[in-house]
Amino acid sequence: MLSRIFQDIGLMSAIGVILALIMVLAQRWLSNYGEVTININKKRDLVVTGGNTLLASLADKQIFIPSACGGRGTCGACKCQVFEGGGPILPTEKPQLTKEEMADNVRLSCQVKVKTDININIPEEIFNIRKFNSVIEEIIDYTYDIKGVTFKLTEGQSIDFKAGQYVQLETKPYAKVKQKAIRAYSISSKPELNNRIQLIVRLVPEGICTTWVHTQLKVGDKVDFTGPYGDFYLRDTEADILFVAGGSGSAPIKSMLEHLREVGTSRKMTYFFGARSAKDLYLGDEMRTFEEYFDDFTYVPVLSHATEEDHWEGKTGFLMPYFKEAIRDPKNTEAYLCGSPGMIAAVTKSLINDYGIDEGKIYYDSFG
Amino acid sequence: MKQTPKDKKIMARMQPGVITYSGFLGNDTRDFNQVISDDEMVLEELGKSAEDIAARLEYFQQKSFDAFEASTVVDDIYDVNTEVVRGYLPCPFMHQGVYRKSYTTVTNTKSGKSFTYSALNIHLIRVHHFFEGKKSHFRLEPRELVAELF
Repeated sequence: MLSRIFQDIGLMSAIGVILALIMVLAQRWLSNYGEVTININKKRDLVVTGGNTLLASLADKQIFIPSACGGRGTCGACKCQVFEGGGPILPTEKPQLTKEEMADNVRLSCQVKVKTDININIPEEIFNIRKFNSVIEEIIDYTYDIKGVTFKLTEGQSIDFKAGQYVQLETKPYAKVKQKAIRAYSISSKPELNNRIQLIVRLVPEGICTTWVHTQLKVGDKVDFTGPYGDFYLRDTEADILFVAGGSGSAPIKSMLEHLREVGTSRKMTYFFGARSAKDLYLGDEMRTFEEYFDDFTYVPVLSHATEEDHWEGKTGFLMPYFKEAIRDPKNTEAYLCGSPGMIAAVTKSLINDYGIDEGKIYYDSFG
Repeated sequence: MKQTPKDKKIMARMQPGVITYSGFLGNDTRDFNQVISDDEMVLEELGKSAEDIAARLEYFQQKSFDAFEASTVVDDIYDVNTEVVRGYLPCPFMHQGVYRKSYTTVTNTKSGKSFTYSALNIHLIRVHHFFEGKKSHFRLEPRELVAELF
């Protein structure tokens, strides 16, 4: 009786092992797509090993499409056009795509698997995006929840970007976090300093990347990032400028001002910075220095909820009523906005309806 | 309770460092199905549905959005403000869609009690009846919500 039981157990185990072997072999056979070709913009071919996502396949060839969620299909930043070979649109892509985009062959490159030859279209500026290795050179505590972090590029590397653009930082596994995360941050230093960048990072409740920056990063640590990304950058005109930002939205504005100081300008510029209370203000000294340096630059911090302890004698409430004193010719004024979607919406609406600024001259980087 | 393969995937997504730094379960030793089931019993006792709670939280959030996320007083006694930061969060239940990283704080000025919740919390409560595990960063106690926000 006992030997029969052992016999049956042995038989079942053998069958299990054989089935597992068959599955491993089938997996290897079925998922082996061999070499496939990605044709980009009908101009160049990349030969890659099939089976990876389009996003990862391109990254292997040093072509970096923006992606803020690490390829989980949640940020919608990695959109590109796929004309042939991408297969049907997946359910994981649909929440991120409009009907118009679907009709226009737009896909999420992190969800599309490269299994056969594939034809895609990506903006030419993406070829300027590269991966950089850096060492943390300096960490400044700007406020209780905002840090400025300077990343010095390793020997021989330099970054070419426009003031206002952003990079994507790669975290390393730490504490409870077992996988790397990728998040986007605006560059806050000037483009002329091309062997290092500074980022301004605000601690987000439960944020995987911001917690890493605030609790783990120290001077001397090695960090990788890709960039530059984005179409929020300073236009080279002679128009008056209205800068408007809130929270960590100061980063690209600081970059733009530092750039203008390098190249020189006589443009009339006003910077409205919205914060909740005095403890949320930062970069005040730098802004006063800009005021002294430029012929016509004014920094206007506005507190929405100044407390008694703040002893605040400056401007309070919403930003919009104060624009009046800064706009001398609406037709010759550009606005650069960076902050929350609510702030961007309110300011844009006011600039167009109340002050007559041309919508096409309002440039923004929305957190939403 | 035996977990299905889908349950196991959901549990994995609720762990620290996957979607959020601390995850969705806090120091709770129950699995998420048990957390949901226990909170549903509390809701039944209170005579409120998950939809009632989600709708109330959404009401405050919308009032804050209407004020362009600035601090605003709602129904005379609630101080409401929203912070929006860059990025989106997916649902740990693998539900389609992503939720803006917006954090609304509602303070009952009579009692001084405050609640902070994200856009994802509203979805988790409405669709999944999930208020998060005990001691989770964004755990919302149904009993406290009903006492303070209705």
